[in-house]
Amino acid sequence: MNIRPDILTVLLAAGAVAFFCRAAGFFLMRFVPITPRLEAALRATPLAVMVGICAPVVARGNPTELAALGVVALATKLTGSDVLGALAGVVAVAILRALF
Amino acid sequence: MAVGVFAYGVAFGLLAQEAQLSLAEAATMSALVYSGTAQLATVSALGASAGTATLAIALAVLLLNARYLLYSAAFRPWLGPLPAYQTYPMLFFMGDGSWVLSMQAHAKGERDGGFPFGASIAMFFPWLLGTLAGVVAAGLVANPALLGLDFMLVAFSAAMGLSMFKLQRSWSGVIAAAATALLVDRFAPGGWTIVAAGLVGGLVAYVRFKPPAPAPTP
Repeated sequence: MNIRPDILTVLLAAGAVAFFCRAAGFFLMRFVPITPRLEAALRATPLAVMVGICAPVVARGNPTELAALGVVALATKLTGSDVLGALAGVVAVAILRALF
Repeated sequence: MAVGVFAYGVAFGLLAQEAQLSLAEAATMSALVYSGTAQLATVSALGASAGTATLAIALAVLLLNARYLLYSAAFRPWLGPLPAYQTYPMLFFMGDGSWVLSMQAHAKGERDGGFPFGASIAMFFPWLLGTLAGVVAAGLVANPALLGLDFMLVAFSAAMGLSMFKLQRSWSGVIAAAATALLVDRFAPGGWTIVAAGLVGGLVAYVRFKPPAPAPTP
């Protein structure tokens, strides 16, 4: 139930970085206008990160995980909600693992 | 929207429990970092090897939260005239949902600086409560892998990635990020894969950016 000191160090660092991202854009706009080019780069970063998380899983080629990713895509498209789509994928993995 | 945030918080709580984080550690992370994507992406590395992973985790949070630079920049025209001791605490609580709500309200004529603050706080507590509920619920589950909970992060990344791709449609960025991820995954799997993919994706967008045609001068 307690907090390990080494974990707390990482959490403080991560929290500081997270707040830096939230505050820095607002602060910098006092001095530097963000160019459209820089804006395009910043906007593209999260998607690239998501791809970076998923690509190694796809490359590993585990049939259960590939099928579940298909379920995620289908459920996200059908429901229009990424939270529901992701949960459907988790349920799919659970069912497939129970069956095979 | 708050219900979605709560469910998302539960998902993080489940994953945090699986990564051997205690209830207090998971709650502290949700309160300090307060970023679903960044927390889901880093929590497994955090539980595994705390000390050595600090740099990789901080970098991953930086890349995943880079969009907040834009979000907060967009608040400057609205909140710029307010004193800093009011605006910076508000920015700490800013999230995707509250930012979108605030921008919509501003477009409709809302000018009260309290709106973004209220919207942000309204998302923060469901997130914290969801985290606690998730950790407690996961304690009741015998084997998280059997229930597919280890797949949570990948599933969320895929679903959110699809939503983002629908808005951006940047094949070059996706392909470059995927190629980078596969390459880095061979030599340094884990947090660095994500960092490298994010950097390359941003770089591709920066290089390939085409400025809109200048408006004809009258």
